[in-house]
Amino acid sequence: MMKGKLEPSERLKFIEKVLNHSASGKNLKEALASFEEDLVKLSDELQQEAQSIPNMTHPDVPIGGEDSSAVRKKVGSPREFSFSVKDHLQLGKELDLFDFDAAAEVSGSKFYYLKNEAVLLEMALVNWTLSQVMQKGFTPLITPEIVRSSIVEKCGFQPRGDNTQAYSIEGSDQCLIGTAEIPVGGVHMDSILAETVLPLKYAAFSHCFRTEAGAAGLATRGLYRVHQFSKVEMFVLCRPDESDTYHEELITIEEDLFSSLGLHYKTLDMASEDLGAPAYRKFDVEAWMPGLGRYGEWQISSASNCTDYQSRRLGIRYRPAELAASKFVHTLNATACAVPRMMICLLENNQQEDGSVIIPEPLRPFMGGMEVILPKHHTG
Amino acid sequence: MGLHSYFGGATIQTLKMAAVPASASYSRFVFSPISRNLVALDSFPRHSPSPPFPLLARAVSMAAAVQTTPPSSEDIGTATGKPQWKAAIDFKWIRDNREAVAENIRKRNSKASLELVLELYEKMLAVQKEVERLRGERNAVANMMKGKLEPSERLKFIEKGKNLKEALASFEEDLVKLSDELQQEAQSIPNMTHPDVPIGGEDSSAVRKKVGSPREFSFSVKDHLQLGKELDLFDFDAAAEVSGSKFYYLKNEAVLLEMALVNWTLSQVMQKGFTPLITPEIVRSSIVEKCGFQPRGDNTQAYSIEGSDQCLIGTAEIPVGGVHMDSILAETVLPLKYAAFSHCFRTEAGAAGLATRGLYRVHQFSKVEMFVLCRPDESDTYHEELITIEEDLFSSLGLHYKTLDMASEDLGAPAYRKFDVEAWMPGLGRYGEISSASNCTDYQSRRLGIRYRPAELAASTNPKKGGKGNLAPTKFVHTLNATACAVPRMMICLLENNQQEDGSVIIPEPLRPFMGGMEVILPKHHTG
Repeated sequence: MMKGKLEPSERLKFIEKVLNHSASGKNLKEALASFEEDLVKLSDELQQEAQSIPNMTHPDVPIGGEDSSAVRKKVGSPREFSFSVKDHLQLGKELDLFDFDAAAEVSGSKFYYLKNEAVLLEMALVNWTLSQVMQKGFTPLITPEIVRSSIVEKCGFQPRGDNTQAYSIEGSDQCLIGTAEIPVGGVHMDSILAETVLPLKYAAFSHCFRTEAGAAGLATRGLYRVHQFSKVEMFVLCRPDESDTYHEELITIEEDLFSSLGLHYKTLDMASEDLGAPAYRKFDVEAWMPGLGRYGEWQISSASNCTDYQSRRLGIRYRPAELAASKFVHTLNATACAVPRMMICLLENNQQEDGSVIIPEPLRPFMGGMEVILPKHHTG
Repeated sequence: MGLHSYFGGATIQTLKMAAVPASASYSRFVFSPISRNLVALDSFPRHSPSPPFPLLARAVSMAAAVQTTPPSSEDIGTATGKPQWKAAIDFKWIRDNREAVAENIRKRNSKASLELVLELYEKMLAVQKEVERLRGERNAVANMMKGKLEPSERLKFIEKGKNLKEALASFEEDLVKLSDELQQEAQSIPNMTHPDVPIGGEDSSAVRKKVGSPREFSFSVKDHLQLGKELDLFDFDAAAEVSGSKFYYLKNEAVLLEMALVNWTLSQVMQKGFTPLITPEIVRSSIVEKCGFQPRGDNTQAYSIEGSDQCLIGTAEIPVGGVHMDSILAETVLPLKYAAFSHCFRTEAGAAGLATRGLYRVHQFSKVEMFVLCRPDESDTYHEELITIEEDLFSSLGLHYKTLDMASEDLGAPAYRKFDVEAWMPGLGRYGEISSASNCTDYQSRRLGIRYRPAELAASTNPKKGGKGNLAPTKFVHTLNATACAVPRMMICLLENNQQEDGSVIIPEPLRPFMGGMEVILPKHHTG
């Protein structure tokens, strides 16, 4: 108004009007500065509170706690054993595959060395998984494992919370990743992608580090819950109208991988209280692990559709072909292979009475043709 | 004179800097009269009939001289100055070979203070001797108390016993402090040096072997960054946003190339009898120190984990060194040969200058490391074996390289001898280090506590009647480590050397089976 042509009396009236609303009551410039300060504070507080609001939920998601999760699919059945079953720790000891004791001395509990055929098995699992998902059009990536904490937050995790899963690096704003989802999410942050490049499909291999703070209870020995492990993670960026479709595609890829390896598993549609803030919908796969006894199944993978929850935080947009305003992409992530859990499954399910372990056929070419892990004959 | 206040109440750090007081009360020295020889110490009260401890006095007067010298700048140990662990250093050997040790420190340009170590050792020995003497006296008193005594005599012995106990406790405390300080200083002393190692700085390193020659290019050569850009193999820019500089994503064929390099290298060294390992990448800081690194120094290469005593490894040498720590191995299991695969994390603090772009110097990378534990008489042989394995690997991949016998100033404290391989990198226009093979003899094993028990029993002795067989005393193993494959440097070599005029890159034959048979990385045809 002040820029335009005004009668002096009109100008004065306008100033008075603003003064009546101003906090300081002095002059326009001060009032403005004060309001702008309020705006920043309000905006920050709003951000902080609003960031806690979880993603919306797919209408088909069952309501309730973990007991309410729905079984989408069940493949195979628990193998019948004619001999007493050993768990992976015992098999590992007899076949000289792991060393948890030395790692406890060197690093602490929940660390381990892989030895001998277990090394080949990890390499084979990673190599085979990568080749499988590459054939389905996923671009392979090897990612940084140290990232700025802000990226972790933007993906929907709490890097500095009390029970944080993230290890922080002393003297810096960096931390270790708990999943390749984080550095892959960061690849296109603060970008506007052309619609024609979507969908972007990545298969990222990384080591993952988790404090497992607050994780108590059973299944904490051995490979069930460890601080460091290798994982191949699928990550998709797509148009909003496609994310449900890609979610189905991702879970199908996972199920095909697990079926190829001969696992017995079930796929769950996770209930509303078990989703985690970023996920619109989440499918977990639980596989049969005979060593767990009556508890039977344990999670081996997770596939989440995060819609625009992460992309709004990471600033990932796309420009639809018809020069419309940019929109936020949808992001999805899914575990293609979490090595320790897969190793438990393979060792425990494929054990033979003589203590050997059969290697699934798809992995044999990646292990130099090896078909079975045989017990060693120790001298002395 | 100074001994009481020298130790009592002063921390290890202040010990070196504190001036020796001219006089102080030394009531706990009640049983240590000053001999006529110790003129400077006539302020000691004379209460006990026991002989003086001339060595101690000499040590004290030496301490006065030592106070003025600056402390060792190589600070191993915690912030409080007290080492958390003890290396089994052979102080007697150092004392008996002081000239050789001093000469070694000189030719390595090390900042270790041999003088201080020897002084502390003498002091410690003196205090130890005193402690033993006092114990003897205390035992004598205790024996007397067992017998029949007049009440007044008994009282005297009780009083004497009490005084002895106090003095003993005080000296034992001194012993601990001296021992800690000695440890800290002595840990800085570098390993001895192989007689064939050239003396001097990096220009003095000797070329042991040269294989191949720089490839002649009929077109202008691209460096790996440009090749990576054109072939869509890396992303440094996104990584700079996500993680910081010197981080990167590998993409497409570069992922396959890394997997192929690691898989092929592991299979090659397994065929040579190495046990494959995948190791933790988070370790306790003390393990890093025991391997001879400085996890909390100023220019440390180690990333520390906040709120814990752990840090990230810079090499699998560290967790593998830890596998057998504080153990006694049977001689029959030696040699132990491991091929360990891990990611490695390095701060690269203090690494300035050129050759920091691209893959040459990065904070995170994959590496296959060979580690050997063996008998002392075999370490030279295994050093030769390790460098030969490395050279065979690099020759198989068609690299042009030279092997260097590193000069004395370039060895690093743990290495008795070190061979580095430098390969030709056309994009850099010079040779770049791709591997390092060190013989650490017993430097690491004395810190990690890795011993073996020799197998030989005395064959000709008469077996004792019903007794156990004679066990030979344990010895420290020798440890060696050698890079089988450091992926980023190998990648630079392969990309830059194997580039074709059309921008493609030929994959070396040994790696093709590990890349699904792929023979060449082709330029992509981008749409739009």
